[in-house]
Amino acid sequence: MEDKIRSIREAATTSVDAANDLPTLDAIRVRYLGKTGEISLLSQSMRDLSKEERPRFGSLLNEARSLVTDAIEQKTRALEAVAEKSRYAQFDATLPGPTLSRGASHPLTQLMGKAVAIFRRMGFSLADGPDIETEFHCFDALNTPADHPARNEQDTFYLPDGRLLRTHTSSVQIRVMENQPPPIRIIAPGAAYRRDEVDATHLAQFTQMEGLYVAESVSLADLKGSLEFFFRELFGAETQCRFRPHFFPFTEPSYEIDIRTALLGDSWMELAGCGMVDPAVFEAICQKRGDRAFDPEKISGFAFGFGLDRLAMNLLAIPDIRMLVETDLRFLRQFAN
Amino acid sequence: MKISLSWLDDFLATGLDTPALDDTLTATGLKVEAIESAGVSIQNLVVAKILESLPHPDADRLSVCQVDDGSGSPRQIVCGAKNYKVGDKIPLALPGAVLPGNFKIKPGKLRGIKSEGMMCSGKEIGLGADSAGLLILPPDSPIGHPISELFPSETVIELEITPNRPDWLSHYGVARELGAFLQKPVSFSPPPLPPTIEDSSLASCETPVCPFYSLRKITGVKVKQSPEKIRRRLESIGLRAINNVVDITNYVLHELGQPLHAFDAAKVSGPICARQARDGEEFLALDGKTYRLTPEDTVIADSAQVLALAGIMGGSTSGVTETTTDVLLESALFLPQAIRKTSRRLALQSDSSYRFERGIDPEMVLVAAAQAANQIADIAEGTPAPSSCTTGALPAKSATVSLRHAKCEALLGTSLSPTEIASALRRVGMTQLSENEGVTEWQPPSFRHDLTREVDLVEEVARIIGIEKIPSRAASLAAPQSPADAAYDFQNLLREKLVASGFCEAKLSTLVSASQLGEKENSAIRLKNPLGEDQSFLRPSLLPGMLQAAQRNFHAGTKDVRIFELGSVYSNTGTEQQGSLGLLASGPARETNWLEKKPADFTFFDLKAVLQSLFPSLLRFENTEKKNLVVASLILCGEIEVGFAGILEPAAARLLDATAEILVAEISWPALQSTQTKNTGKFSPIPKFPSTSRDLALILPEAVPYATVESILLACNEPLLASFAPFDLFRDPEGIRLPANKKSLAISLTFRSSERTLASSEIDAATEKIRVLLKQNLPVEFRE
Repeated sequence: MEDKIRSIREAATTSVDAANDLPTLDAIRVRYLGKTGEISLLSQSMRDLSKEERPRFGSLLNEARSLVTDAIEQKTRALEAVAEKSRYAQFDATLPGPTLSRGASHPLTQLMGKAVAIFRRMGFSLADGPDIETEFHCFDALNTPADHPARNEQDTFYLPDGRLLRTHTSSVQIRVMENQPPPIRIIAPGAAYRRDEVDATHLAQFTQMEGLYVAESVSLADLKGSLEFFFRELFGAETQCRFRPHFFPFTEPSYEIDIRTALLGDSWMELAGCGMVDPAVFEAICQKRGDRAFDPEKISGFAFGFGLDRLAMNLLAIPDIRMLVETDLRFLRQFAN
Repeated sequence: MKISLSWLDDFLATGLDTPALDDTLTATGLKVEAIESAGVSIQNLVVAKILESLPHPDADRLSVCQVDDGSGSPRQIVCGAKNYKVGDKIPLALPGAVLPGNFKIKPGKLRGIKSEGMMCSGKEIGLGADSAGLLILPPDSPIGHPISELFPSETVIELEITPNRPDWLSHYGVARELGAFLQKPVSFSPPPLPPTIEDSSLASCETPVCPFYSLRKITGVKVKQSPEKIRRRLESIGLRAINNVVDITNYVLHELGQPLHAFDAAKVSGPICARQARDGEEFLALDGKTYRLTPEDTVIADSAQVLALAGIMGGSTSGVTETTTDVLLESALFLPQAIRKTSRRLALQSDSSYRFERGIDPEMVLVAAAQAANQIADIAEGTPAPSSCTTGALPAKSATVSLRHAKCEALLGTSLSPTEIASALRRVGMTQLSENEGVTEWQPPSFRHDLTREVDLVEEVARIIGIEKIPSRAASLAAPQSPADAAYDFQNLLREKLVASGFCEAKLSTLVSASQLGEKENSAIRLKNPLGEDQSFLRPSLLPGMLQAAQRNFHAGTKDVRIFELGSVYSNTGTEQQGSLGLLASGPARETNWLEKKPADFTFFDLKAVLQSLFPSLLRFENTEKKNLVVASLILCGEIEVGFAGILEPAAARLLDATAEILVAEISWPALQSTQTKNTGKFSPIPKFPSTSRDLALILPEAVPYATVESILLACNEPLLASFAPFDLFRDPEGIRLPANKKSLAISLTFRSSERTLASSEIDAATEKIRVLLKQNLPVEFRE
């Protein structure tokens, strides 16, 4: 009996080892473990054994059954794995995945996003104002003389009611100071308009970023440090900033900022205007507010502004400014990231 | 404004090379726009005479010339030019010469024939663009003479002059500024001034626009060409030389900044008067144009006619010509605003008006007149009258300005000694009048009209000490979120989702044409002075511009157009300027790929999916009718209409050359921003018990939209109904499986309880309740 069990066990495991496909394996399972399989038949023949012999042979038989079951189980898994693997044998994972149309934010948005992020780290909040402005907000309050050329109908778009399309985002400075006492620390990105013929380097509508910081004892040192920090964050630590004395009606002293960085071809590029807010601007605000919250004897401030369109053109080597507004997807999709 | 460096040298030896000069000018606030060099500075380039020219034995196009270079022995040059004849004088580059482009001249052989130099064209030596042949020099050019002496090199710097600094509008003015920065003396000795007399029979002044007028007669002038030096200098800064008298007035203007004018005394009848123009009075100016004047304009007139438009331009009939013998030299002071007004109105600008409208130096009026009179005496051999006739008075010295040193330090953010401050101000020509406990009192120089307030002096201190001496400080402030911050962040959120959905951001012009107003014609805001009709309105909607952009893309061969814009729209009713989001999609939803033969086109429901992802579970869609849209859907948030979505009429899409449906949507996003910020977003427990679904197949008349079914189900009040969704829509146009005017809508209902696993009987009961409810409200049948 013992020999019989051993020989069945060995025959079964040998044929399991030899099996090369699942049907063969299934046939082996039926032959040994099925209802009339050899191991099952041996089980039945246990009846003929003596009470003393039964436990020993029973345990031998169970051992054989589980051994064969395990062998079949293992072999099944191995054969299945081989079959599954072969199903992927032809799979070429190097083929590309079908892509959705590539989306992208506008290059100006991306540049503006970088600038806004830096100013926010420096503690500036955003502010905004309308594109349609009054002469007061765009010129008068900014200390612009009544006969200043910028007010000319040749250069500025007017509405029939005498209002105008703002020629710079500096009007937001006035809006903010009208409505909020110091301290003020804001940036204002937005559209501005000049009555320019559209060509490769001019648009009638362009994008600017304005900034204003007004508090007690703000100085030229704050202006210099803040803007140097900003431009070095934007263009890299090695960026050189040159503050060139200039003139704006609404700041005194006034500077233009030239930047020199490898990103912009390593030559000086005029980038921004800035200066200490002119006391005449604060006086105009005081008069409008009817209080002395912006008394230039008590507070001071700096302001700056720069255009984003030219900067984007230079950074991205865009040859024609009109490409920024043409909405050609062959252009826009290049800026997907 | 152009400045000639050699002219500048008359006043100041800067001792700087061009780059260093550029830096110094920049530091003063004089922005260098361009640096141009004219003339020739090439060494080993001489005048040579062609003695002989024979054909090259081995090259048809070349000649072999013998030339005289002044060395005593002829020199052989092989040459390709044809425009010369034997005996001509030409520029000859000798071995060792370096021509522009670092082209070094060496002795060599051309097709086997020795050539010891190169005969040059004008272009080859940097004179003009003409390269048609050799530069033929005047016959009297001395042989062997360096070309650099015939065409002396001249560097001209073009400067941007800010409107606050008219004192920079002359060579002397720029020299004065450089002298202040370099702390070097500026050499200018004003000529002695002649005595002045007032004589109204010669000159009078009837208008406040001319506070001071001077006239000096110079007799016996010989009008001819100006000397070389004057001509060259005027031409180097872009002026045309005319005759010696006119050239001298222009020369002194650019030298000292004071505009002057010379009349031909023979063409003036009676006393000269500065007065208001008469209404309608006509004036023929030097530019050949006739101007019609108004009383707002100021003229210089005699008893018969207008001689000049004051401070702007002389007349064509009273000017100095070859026949002039006696000259009346005018030097005056005109008020800036009046000159600016006339100049603007007539669109007539001159070097003279440019200076008057910014403000001239009153102390220079008589100095410049004397300087010009002396030069006319020297050069044109005229005899100036012993005295100058004047009328009116030059303004008194400008008001003094006091400076608190503490304020100066506070604004500049650095500490400065009183000596540093005082020295800086003295360098720019200020005179200190007093000092008292940290406050100094200053007299600005006559040429600085821009120094009237304390802060103006602070600026001068900053300029002179230089911003590089100011420390950099970047103190910060805690910045609370503003409404603009919230709007910016919300737009970025929308933008990120749209970009991830494959949309590209457009930035279109806010100025549009009348044809792009669509149905918002009446509420659109029109500009008073547009640049052209195609940019005459502020856009009332984003879509017309986006449709135009789509067309450009179709024309460029792009089929999968997916664009959005986050911009402003404008209206003369309600909110004037409002944020808006526009979307446009057309063509294949995916790029062509190996898995799909032809990727499906983006559909209206794809667009809806994008909109729903932007504003999860906020939006409702209601069928509507809209101009130009074949399918239109109102977008609502609660009961507020926030926008619309739709399919462009196929005919309109074809007009744009689209090859697929064009889907559009426009949403006023600010209305949705407030709902987003109110959403507190609390956690709801994750369901513990399984859900069970039942499907309902509704047979509905075509006229009943899904939205009706949806609203009934949303209102059904069945606590076990967790969610529902349509999963099939079936129609049978043949009318076999379903009547042709009906549709079959299959909806899957999902039931769940948070307390227990639901029994089948409970779900059946709930489903039945819903069926009854639908039946009560709709002409519906159910398919089993």
